[in-house]
Amino acid sequence: MVAAPDPRDWPAVLAAADGTTVDLHMWGGSTEINTFVDEVYGPALAELGVRLNRVPVADTADAVNTVLGELEAGRTDPGSGAIDLIWLNGENFATMRQADALLATGWAEHLPNAALVDWDDPAVAFDAGRPVAFTTSPWGSAQFQFVADTARTPAQELPRSYAELSVWIRERPGRFTYPAPPAFHGTRFLTQWFHELDGDSDAWVEEFDEDRYTEVAGELFALLEELAPALWRGGVTYPNEIADLDRLFANGEVDLTFTQLPAGIGANIDAGVLPATARPFVFDTGTIGDHHYLAIPLNAADAAAAMVFADLVLDPALQAAKLDPVNGWGDGIAISPDRLDAGQRAAIDAVTAGLGDEAVPPAELEAVRTSNPLAELTIRLEADWDRRIRQGRGG
Amino acid sequence: MSAPLLVQQARRWSRDDTVRTWAGLAPALAVVGVLFGGAVWSALSRSLGVGAIGTAGPSLAAYRRLFADPEFWPSVALTAHVAVTSTLLSVVLGVGAALLLRRVRVGRQSLTTLFQFNLPIPHVIGAVAILLLLGQSGFVSRLTTSVGWTAAPADFPALLYDPYAVGVIVQYVWKEVPFVGIVALAILRAAGDDLEVAAATLGASAWQRFRFVTLPVLLPGVLSTAIIVFAFAFGTFEVPLLLGASYPAVLPVLVHQRYTDVDLASRPEAMALAVVVTAIVVVVVLVGVALARRAVRRAGA
Amino acid sequence: MSAHGTGTPTPGSTVGSPPAASSLPQTGRRSASPPTPIGRPGPAAAGVEGPGRGSPGHGRPGGPGHGRPGTTVAAAALVALLLLPFLPLVLTSLSRGYFHPQILPETWSLRAWRLVLAPGAGTWVALRDSLMVAAGVTLVSLVVAVPAGRVLGTRAFRGRRVVEVVVLLPVLVPGIAVAIGLHVTFLRLGLAGTLPGVVLVHLVPATPYVVLLSAGVFANADLGLEDQARTLGANRRQVAWSVTRPLVAPGLAVAALFGFLVSWGQYATTLVVGGGRVVTLPILLFASAAGGDTAVTAATALVHALPAVGLLVVTARILGRDVPTLGGAR
Repeated sequence: MVAAPDPRDWPAVLAAADGTTVDLHMWGGSTEINTFVDEVYGPALAELGVRLNRVPVADTADAVNTVLGELEAGRTDPGSGAIDLIWLNGENFATMRQADALLATGWAEHLPNAALVDWDDPAVAFDAGRPVAFTTSPWGSAQFQFVADTARTPAQELPRSYAELSVWIRERPGRFTYPAPPAFHGTRFLTQWFHELDGDSDAWVEEFDEDRYTEVAGELFALLEELAPALWRGGVTYPNEIADLDRLFANGEVDLTFTQLPAGIGANIDAGVLPATARPFVFDTGTIGDHHYLAIPLNAADAAAAMVFADLVLDPALQAAKLDPVNGWGDGIAISPDRLDAGQRAAIDAVTAGLGDEAVPPAELEAVRTSNPLAELTIRLEADWDRRIRQGRGG
Repeated sequence: MSAPLLVQQARRWSRDDTVRTWAGLAPALAVVGVLFGGAVWSALSRSLGVGAIGTAGPSLAAYRRLFADPEFWPSVALTAHVAVTSTLLSVVLGVGAALLLRRVRVGRQSLTTLFQFNLPIPHVIGAVAILLLLGQSGFVSRLTTSVGWTAAPADFPALLYDPYAVGVIVQYVWKEVPFVGIVALAILRAAGDDLEVAAATLGASAWQRFRFVTLPVLLPGVLSTAIIVFAFAFGTFEVPLLLGASYPAVLPVLVHQRYTDVDLASRPEAMALAVVVTAIVVVVVLVGVALARRAVRRAGA
Repeated sequence: MSAHGTGTPTPGSTVGSPPAASSLPQTGRRSASPPTPIGRPGPAAAGVEGPGRGSPGHGRPGGPGHGRPGTTVAAAALVALLLLPFLPLVLTSLSRGYFHPQILPETWSLRAWRLVLAPGAGTWVALRDSLMVAAGVTLVSLVVAVPAGRVLGTRAFRGRRVVEVVVLLPVLVPGIAVAIGLHVTFLRLGLAGTLPGVVLVHLVPATPYVVLLSAGVFANADLGLEDQARTLGANRRQVAWSVTRPLVAPGLAVAALFGFLVSWGQYATTLVVGGGRVVTLPILLFASAAGGDTAVTAATALVHALPAVGLLVVTARILGRDVPTLGGAR
């Protein structure tokens, strides 16, 4: 029906977007993030004549599924879809890419603010082992961290690797669990354990080695089966979501939870979701860091408005605001500080300097950061976890 | 008018009557036929691989995969357990509540009003409320900790996310007891109490009055209510999703999982599961109705 | 039993306070009009009936109306137990950092309510969409269901049993099964992800309830009055407005409320057919429950509950009678 807008002619995109609504489908489980999106991006978009319709989904896969369902039903024309923009990464990106469901005109390269993004950084240019190829545009960055309550667990007792965690679990029966994969944090937790047993996380970014997988996964799941009785509820059931784990942690049912926020858990503490004495930490053996992106479905109705949003979120001032937990989020930046002017860089440095011990220092995070592996690996881990651990069927 | 004319007239009236009957029924039957019938038809044809792009003729492959899935039978068993247990408890407690409430003298009206309070409450809310009430660190657990019965959340019984779906059943019973109770109260009120009084005068014991007078009056209405309760406990999706264990999932949750699986090849399986679930409910209801009719006759109602 | 309460029947009270308007149809054609699958007056019929028949047991020992003080205590305990789950909901919504083993929150806070009720919050859109969908469902289901209800409530005809079962089935089949069956077709028709699409899928469970309830209403209304009016020379419109309407209006209001509430509580059907694009209150609440902010979830749950409870109370007031038929609203 309508040709996709070309961001190289940005004034034309702005003109096309004026008066339209961008339907942004995003995980809606965090009131703070929702509020940030509505109150920071909403008014900024309104100035450009674009209305923001944030649609909360319980699981990003639901939004992906909506698009795939539309395409299956023959609604493939640009302009015929219900969704303009999806917040995603990892497997959901891989799924959309595989199904050719993304707007693949290379639009993300030509957004005005794309100049601030370091597209040469593999951490930006690859998602779930696949080249992003400008089919999605980065929004922010994250890194997996563990969270413990200092009032309950002294820092020196905390595990610093999965090897130590196995001992720790056995010593404290019933005090640990993790969200059931494919819940995001559960899959991350599992993948990192796989990496530690395997010893080389970089190996899985490009290629899936079946023999090696069978060997390492065999070891991992044997260990998980062995540890299950020492987990919360004897490993008979697992929390559905990170939110359930947070609740167990905050109420003292378990001793660890997880977070993805590079700027720390200050916002969660302020919200009363986590206790005031909770603090994040990382394993010395590495935790996965990655970017998260905005994707425009092939059949988006308001692709121009979607591009305007994707460009807006890269604005240096808004990236700094998103990083600051005071504003409710604490998400990592997606732009490269090297490409900013002094004033813009100072704004970001000021936020980082003021984070305090509710965040892991950026240098420490960077020291242990590993790459998000191929979607093939995480999908296999999820399937095997479902069979061997959730359903309790042996290897 | 001559006699033949009268007969003709009567025939026309009865034909008009039939037309009027079906004309009245038509809109509702159309909605049910088009929307519900269409849904079942669509699920059936898709479960057989008809209608999806690029598939060869009808095939039972999706059903074969479904029945070979090791989670299928445990899921059927759990769903049946949840539905049957919830229904039995709701009916027994609901009727008990009605019998209790009608005997109340002081403040009966306010109590009956409050008794109905959670009837309009959607299931999602009930599930969240039960979560906050009965979780191992929930409200009741906090009370038991404060009086020293439990020291930590782990000491409190694991009522949620458990293999027997206790939390799910509690939610259904909490929601359905007032439903059954109000229906029973309405029936009892409509029936009046003459018979019971008469029976009492004749020296019938409380049990005899219940068994031979009250129960036969209650049975038909309560049994239809039980069928509705069963269907809901069998088919509701959000409650087990929030309160159920990781494994096995109940059938409606399984349907949704298959349908939203990113692997589109799972969709025919989701459709097959939807057809199976529909068939189970229809069979159970028809058998249930037949049994209920017989029970009603036996009870002498 | 209805006359045994010691309290004075008041408008809006529950079982046992018949309004004058509907005490007429008591003698109706109950036995000829079984709208339930078992073929006898079921909850629908019984619920909208007028008062119980005579109550000669009043004051006599042994009658079911005879209450001991212990009965009130037991009934109060039962009611308290049923209301108990709302307590942590309310407490949680008014708290911040309300963790085990706090019984009352250490920190009281309106934070969650401020977030949920903020002018730009998604709650308002969800509330609007929920109301629009439920109003649409109520309206359409009344239009299609009341004629069928009248037929089922007043006429004996061949095929009646089959019709009853056919009408009842949609309410019994799991919503998720219906929803995925309709979804692909709705996608093709452009109805998926739209309010009309969601209204249509809600009609599947709502219509049967409204049919069955209105069948009960007509079965118990003394429609013989229509004939009398006609004999006295009233035309069709006069009969409909002055005779039929007052007879059936209160009962149909209950049926309408029922249709509304069925739609109000739908989750699975909205999730699938709405495709995440139609965010009603149940969808919003579930998304919130999947997040970690329990206080916000609790406040959202209460926002979702209040209109339903409010409507129940208001309807009871307007009708000036009991609304026991609400049983089963979900």
